[in-house]
Amino acid sequence: MKTNLLITLFVTLAGSTLIAAESPRVGAAAPAFSVADTKGKTHTLADYTGKWVVLEWFNPECPFVKKHYGSGNMQKLQQEYAGKGVIWLSVDSSAAGKEGNLTPEAAGKIISDWNISSTALLLDTDGKTGQAYGAKNTPHMFVINPEGKIVYEGAIDSKPTANPADIGTATNYVKAALDEAMAGKPVSTATTKPYGCSVKY
Amino acid sequence: MVEAQTYEGRELVKAELIANTTAVTPGKPFKVGLLLRMAPGWHTYWKFPGDAGIPTEIKWSLPPEWKVGEIQWPTPLRLVEPGDIEIYGYHGEVLLTQEITPPASLSERSVKLSADANWLVCEKICIPGGTALQVELPVGGSGAAANQELFERSERSLPQPWPAGDVARISWSRNGNDLVLQIRSKVLASQTAVEFHPLPPDNVVVAHPATQRDAEGVTFRIPIQTSDKIAAIPGVVVFGASTDAADRNAWLVPASAVSPSPAVVQPSIGARTIAQFLLFGFLGGLILNLMPCVLPVISLKIFGFIQHAGQTRRRILRSGLSFIAGIFVWFVGLALVLIVLKNAGHAITWAFQFTNPYFVLAMSVLVLVFALNLFGVFEVALPQSANRGLLGWTSREGDVGSFFQGIFATVLATPCTAPFLGTALGFAFTQSAWIIMLMFVAIAAGMSAPYLLLSMQPAWLKFLPKPGAWMERVKQLMGFLLLATLLFLLSVLGAQRGLTAVIWTMCFLLIVSLACWIKGAFITPLASTRARLTAAVIALLLLTASGAYFVGAKFAEAKLEPVSANSDTDWQTFTPEKLDAELARGSAVFVDFTAAWCVTCKFNEATVLETAAVREAFRRHRIVKFKADWTNADPAITKMLQQFGRPGVPLYVLYPAGKTDAPILLPELLTKNIVLEKLETVAARIAAD
Repeated sequence: MKTNLLITLFVTLAGSTLIAAESPRVGAAAPAFSVADTKGKTHTLADYTGKWVVLEWFNPECPFVKKHYGSGNMQKLQQEYAGKGVIWLSVDSSAAGKEGNLTPEAAGKIISDWNISSTALLLDTDGKTGQAYGAKNTPHMFVINPEGKIVYEGAIDSKPTANPADIGTATNYVKAALDEAMAGKPVSTATTKPYGCSVKY
Repeated sequence: MVEAQTYEGRELVKAELIANTTAVTPGKPFKVGLLLRMAPGWHTYWKFPGDAGIPTEIKWSLPPEWKVGEIQWPTPLRLVEPGDIEIYGYHGEVLLTQEITPPASLSERSVKLSADANWLVCEKICIPGGTALQVELPVGGSGAAANQELFERSERSLPQPWPAGDVARISWSRNGNDLVLQIRSKVLASQTAVEFHPLPPDNVVVAHPATQRDAEGVTFRIPIQTSDKIAAIPGVVVFGASTDAADRNAWLVPASAVSPSPAVVQPSIGARTIAQFLLFGFLGGLILNLMPCVLPVISLKIFGFIQHAGQTRRRILRSGLSFIAGIFVWFVGLALVLIVLKNAGHAITWAFQFTNPYFVLAMSVLVLVFALNLFGVFEVALPQSANRGLLGWTSREGDVGSFFQGIFATVLATPCTAPFLGTALGFAFTQSAWIIMLMFVAIAAGMSAPYLLLSMQPAWLKFLPKPGAWMERVKQLMGFLLLATLLFLLSVLGAQRGLTAVIWTMCFLLIVSLACWIKGAFITPLASTRARLTAAVIALLLLTASGAYFVGAKFAEAKLEPVSANSDTDWQTFTPEKLDAELARGSAVFVDFTAAWCVTCKFNEATVLETAAVREAFRRHRIVKFKADWTNADPAITKMLQQFGRPGVPLYVLYPAGKTDAPILLPELLTKNIVLEKLETVAARIAAD
């Protein structure tokens, strides 16, 4: 009886130590959000439970964002993964009066002019969603799995420059993370330092 | 040759390539520099740009056999943008220098050195800039110095090599996802401002370093994300009257301290400091015996001593030593688990096991079973009068019992972080594995000391009354003490998972009691084997079924209730954002880091913080009060605790108004006088300012 109790004690202890680990950003539950898009429709993370979600921090004035849209790189990714059922949300967290802050009308025009192919462009003018995710850059990318956990956070690719010519030779981390994660494999590069302009909160 | 970057008609950056000589001498190194002059308010970036931005880049196209050195980066400014974005860069003007070594023989009469420079310049918006630049120099003769003032100014603003060991001693350690850089230096301690600017390798993502100052120097905590097992990163320590004034200084963290060689990573703390902290550990362990959460179990042990009074000296010593062995095994085991986890890169916190409701549930079951045992519902150990005739076996059974009691007492002790223990553990968690182990051994030694004394001097036990029938009554009385402990554990569960979880736990506890009764009533040495077997099967079935239903299904479903807002509205629920907002407004702020299972916290709250006098003082000094409830191990609160170097609660932090960088830590055991005095000094400081 005593031995059993001893064993119980150690097993419980061993179990309890598992929760001692403070979750790093990647692996943690993605923060909930509720933001209206350019058409006034509200999107929440809960709407997309069970789906792969990509969050992309966006600022149309930022040269690093222009690098990936001007070259068609971002739109190509958005279309490729839309075809695989991935929800792609572009988020603009620029505060009113700051660079990149958009009215719904102006945002709608950029979507059609640039042929932006994400599921929606969310206007996070109060910066709440950006702050909740700790988004610091445009572009700053997050990949969320169907269980609502973050599986990738960081840069779009491995060449931190504003030069579109570098896209061809760079490793696209978001594509790599999505391909691995959706194939049920662990993401080999799960956290990188994002690069770009600061988010204009 | 000067190139200008213009944007919408404004000149943002003027770029120029300059040399520190008027002529090139073959084989003799000289310096060239990229001079960037930014428009007011605009900045370019350091080698590590911080949360956003891109470092300036210089690509040379030099003839073969010419060598070019690394860019020498002047100490940058730390610039803070809205949204907690911190970047490192330069305002006004910066000269990025490199050493160029020409080949030993040159046939040309003059050389043209060309480079492509690329940069990002930002104010409220960011504009990339770049241009091809050249500097042309004649070959031969003895060149005179050129651009002396510019190169000297750049030279002066470079970080200096790390000073000698008697000026500043450095130690790195890894605490979960934090790197801890501890610098003991009187020079740094006397500075008004000290900062760490990190230079992380590519595969390491760093967050903002937190700075903690004391009389001995400074400690930086640098949160990192990486898959590598690094224990240090390069960087620069910047200090001065302020960290953005021209007269600031900077030291380059030495590469030797950053190299992965374990000999260097070992903390360079003195043996005296270790001895001092081990003494704290010992005292802390001693004091643990008096903590309300251990006392009930300790009484069990005292009861054991009473029982043993009158027995042989050897038996008493053996029983005492077994108890002590239990204490040591627990602490050493805990230390090993912590070391393994620490090395695995996890954040460790004291009493973390109490943040897991299943652990608390398991403890409730244990405590109840022991209480029932004391009440006599069933027997665990065979009574000494048992008809076994195997004296050796019985005594061994007694030793196992003592050993187990030792473990049990220490498990219950963990949530009571006694005053010395907090300091000692906070120190230990930043140290290497063997120091953690030593610290836990010291705590175990402290906790066991009284029992060792009693076991070795059983003469003192003579003062305890002789065994007799009254012992049965004392035993039962102790059972009620354990039930009181059970009430405490249930209240913790209630705080963690709500009332429904407590109800399902109690359903399970009822079945456990029933199983104990079956054990006591039917599984006796006198019963037939068949009767015993049947009873055991029934008891096991009951336990399994109720465990699966009440714990596996119902308890697991019980919702994690949000920490209920205190009905007493003068406490606000803590979040880092709210704290920052209050500090930014210039308010004086008090933060109470607490948890439902932390008895010391509850004691402090009841006897000090919630008393009329203290509440009135808080109101009078207009101090904003935050309650940070760590009952469920909120990661944001864990992070704050780590920033203050504490592995657990309680922690009391007082931020004087307008002095966000100089928080005052209150002791872990509060008295009204301590709190009132601190509040007065804060008020006096405000008045003096």
